[in-house]
Amino acid sequence: MTSAAWRRAEARLVAWFATQERRPAPFQRAAWRAWRDGRNGLIHAPTGTGKTLAAAGGPLIDAVLSPQTGLQLLWITPLRSLATDTAQHLAAAVEAMELPWRVLRRTGDSGSAERAKLRRGACELLVTTPESLALLLSYPDARERFTRLRGIVVDEWHELIGNKRGTLLQLGLARLRQWLPELRTWGLSATLGNLDEALHALAGDGVLIGAATKKKTIIETALPEAGERFPWAGHLGLSQLPRVLDAVLGARTSLVFANTRSQAELWHEALSSVWPEAPETLALHHGSIDPKLRFATEEALRVGALRCVVATSSLDLGVDFASVERVVQIGSPKSVARLLQRAGRSGHQPGMPSRILCVPTHLLELAEIAAARHALETGHLEPRRPMRGCLDVLAQHLLTMALGGGFDADAAYAEITSSLAYANLPREQFDAVLAYLQTGGSALASYPEYQKLVQTDGRYHVDSGRIARMHRLSIGTITSDGTLQVRYMKGARLGSVEESFVSRLRPGDKFLFAGRHLELVRVRDMTAYVRASTHRRGGVPRWMGGRMPLSGELSDELRLTLAGGSGGTAEMRALRPLLAVQDNQSSIPAIDETLCEATRTREGDYLFVFPFAGRLAHEGLAAVLAYRLAQMRPGDYGYAVNDYGLTITAARMPALDAETMRRLLHPWGLRTDIRASINLSELARRQFREIARVAGLVFNGYPAQGKTLRQLQASSGLLFDVLRRHDPAHPLLWQAEREVLDQQLDYSRLRACLLRVARSRLVWHETKRLSPLAFPLWVERLRGGIAADDWKTRVERMLASLEAGADA
Amino acid sequence: MMTHDIEVAGERLTLHAHRALYWPARRMLMVADVHFGKGAVFRRAGIAVPSGDTEDDLARLDGLIDTFAPATLAVLGDLVHGNATERSAWVDDVRAWRRRHHATDMLLIAGNHDRHFDVASLGIDVRPGHLHVAPFVLAHHPERHEGGYTLAGHVHPGVAVRDGWRKHRLPAFVFDRDVGMLPAFGTLTGLHDVRVEPGRRIVAATPAGLIPMRL
Repeated sequence: MTSAAWRRAEARLVAWFATQERRPAPFQRAAWRAWRDGRNGLIHAPTGTGKTLAAAGGPLIDAVLSPQTGLQLLWITPLRSLATDTAQHLAAAVEAMELPWRVLRRTGDSGSAERAKLRRGACELLVTTPESLALLLSYPDARERFTRLRGIVVDEWHELIGNKRGTLLQLGLARLRQWLPELRTWGLSATLGNLDEALHALAGDGVLIGAATKKKTIIETALPEAGERFPWAGHLGLSQLPRVLDAVLGARTSLVFANTRSQAELWHEALSSVWPEAPETLALHHGSIDPKLRFATEEALRVGALRCVVATSSLDLGVDFASVERVVQIGSPKSVARLLQRAGRSGHQPGMPSRILCVPTHLLELAEIAAARHALETGHLEPRRPMRGCLDVLAQHLLTMALGGGFDADAAYAEITSSLAYANLPREQFDAVLAYLQTGGSALASYPEYQKLVQTDGRYHVDSGRIARMHRLSIGTITSDGTLQVRYMKGARLGSVEESFVSRLRPGDKFLFAGRHLELVRVRDMTAYVRASTHRRGGVPRWMGGRMPLSGELSDELRLTLAGGSGGTAEMRALRPLLAVQDNQSSIPAIDETLCEATRTREGDYLFVFPFAGRLAHEGLAAVLAYRLAQMRPGDYGYAVNDYGLTITAARMPALDAETMRRLLHPWGLRTDIRASINLSELARRQFREIARVAGLVFNGYPAQGKTLRQLQASSGLLFDVLRRHDPAHPLLWQAEREVLDQQLDYSRLRACLLRVARSRLVWHETKRLSPLAFPLWVERLRGGIAADDWKTRVERMLASLEAGADA
Repeated sequence: MMTHDIEVAGERLTLHAHRALYWPARRMLMVADVHFGKGAVFRRAGIAVPSGDTEDDLARLDGLIDTFAPATLAVLGDLVHGNATERSAWVDDVRAWRRRHHATDMLLIAGNHDRHFDVASLGIDVRPGHLHVAPFVLAHHPERHEGGYTLAGHVHPGVAVRDGWRKHRLPAFVFDRDVGMLPAFGTLTGLHDVRVEPGRRIVAATPAGLIPMRL
């Protein structure tokens, strides 16, 4: 219907562009027309190029042509903080189109007035999060609420695609498409290595639309000066403080990105100790800080009241801050896509390049920065793979479906397998999850008194109000297990820290959190009460899962860079003296070589292997290698890993050479050996935390909910042990083990790595001193090991070491 | 070693790795925080916990009673976790267990959880507050008492023990100057970390033996 009517309505939108002295870009027009033709699609373009209007234009023009009331367009955003801004932006466009649309947002932060309006169906455009959508789907009248819906737009799809929030959203979309076959689905994404797959996961089929404008990104490096002593290992990089301060003060506003929350706290602390300006112009932003404080920081950034914000990936996405002129990255970005994303937070004026200053925390990171730049120039970006077949998310969604009108098993299976995330889900697994919800576990175990789902006349539904309430309270897949609220005695909330950190503190102890020096007063009701401290000392909380592994794309580039592929850069020139030492003591691995080193020290023998496959794959490989060494010669083998390689240590290592190493690193029997070597159950036990919560096996009662719910708190570890003993066939145990293999050990990458090692030439060096590549591994904390491992031997070992400690 | 002897308030006490304490002078076996029926409470609330926790705990109690042949079994609070319904199989198991050991006196210092269930109906002597058995005061909450050394539960003490490159979090006995705490006995119980500090004696319990911690 390329009617005159459409062109007239489109002209209204173009006129609005003109009032802001802009014209629609070709990709925006392309998106509007694709919408008109009833297509789905994915729009990929850098931030600040007008993706929002590209996606919103079609539905708005459509609405001018055939006005209706009731919810027309659903706009999904991954961040609650983005919702406000997006809603305002869309409301302006709605007004410009002279549409009588009401724009509302509904997130976990929404007030009761907004929620009430929503219940009355009083909006045409709703901005919400994947979790809030799941919640909407859990009400009995869910289907009626969406009868007028014409389209869905998923903002920042790249942030969701690779995790369980994305899986949950795929299920929600499948639900809506089942009800509304005409529904159009659109996504907005940053550039990814697998855009086709991203589109497929979101919409099944559709068009990929990209912005032609290529924004230039300039990567600079804080290079050590000639003669400057620069550390060979380390994660913090605080020695670079003067350089960072200079860079920050040279711009109107700067963002300083750290890779972990602890690192961000310490950098904020360091900067504030030398900050020459008003203290309130320096701020800290990370995911454990209370949302209110974070929003306040974002607001101050927006109005240009801040000179510098130290942040983690919490500021990777979100609204654009026009005042940001400089971006600093502390340490290696670990992924090309992340570097691009962070650099893109500066230079929003049209035609301006994005600039990022990379600050290495140790010398070898210079090579990572050079490699990242090269990868960016050659368009070598990481893919983000959608997760497949997560049974915990499935369990949660089935309960949502049961609450939202009930379901029939065959129809539900068909609907769920229509999504990419569950396209290959075997019926047995679907049935196993259904059985878990209905009877508790596998058919073999007994779960008296348990019943979450009830079946009547072939349809599954929920009978108990209490189960419904608990499910709605715990909907969503983002987890925060074992965290305590941190708040002042007077009541203001600061954020949350891990329970394990607080349990090491006593009242009166000082610590650094949210950029403040605090003193613990007491812990009560899952809350750590604190007061401001005048002492400037004390620990910094460490949060779990902080460190990202080096991406596969960047690892490949790094091997090329070290082997001399891009030797001409300033970084590699600065690295030359170190590489000369490496070449002298051992060698620099060529692209078709795998380097192994052995060093004998006073504490014991060390074996080093450098596959450059990222820390996760190295962890699995280290365990396998330690296991195979123990087969050669029994004993205790400990190991440590980093992104470049791994080390195995033992009091006495068996005799090794290149040929033996080739055998030890053989891919044959990998799967068997990994099962034998890794205490899979121990890793799975940790992985089980998230799974148990997502699947509704543990309930995260809120302090305000009162005692009745607190009586129901059990640690997921405990449940894991009980399930393993009494119901080993439970589908959620299976899910935990699979996640350990896929995610924690990056099994596919590990296998690919061993295949490459098998094809490569093995280079063996016995070194007198630790080489520059070996040194950072030597200072890493031991991550695991192989040793006899029943409780009896453990007790003997612990007793022996306690004795030894007493004698010393 | 499954047992470890320790001197507290001038008395010799035998700690057992199955998280129990035996006082030979009075032939008294003590446990704390048993939480019978916890799994059932969870299941009723829609949290899938397989049954078997209460059977496991009863089997361990059987073993301890066989080993020490105590005159009295004293439970330092929280014998049961929550209320029961007519479908609660664990109640029948506990009654049968009580009948098997009819020759053993059993007493319970009532804990915060015990108010949900009529423990006396099991043939167990319920004492509110605390009980003086010189030189000890048996209690649920680990508070100082005049005229005796307190033995108590409630806290579910645990301690992290280093084992080479890893750490195990283990239930533990903790003895301070005036108060001693027993580890929680129940299978389905969590841990609250306590600090290792001077003047505090800690013995960690594993399924295969006890580990006295040194400072």
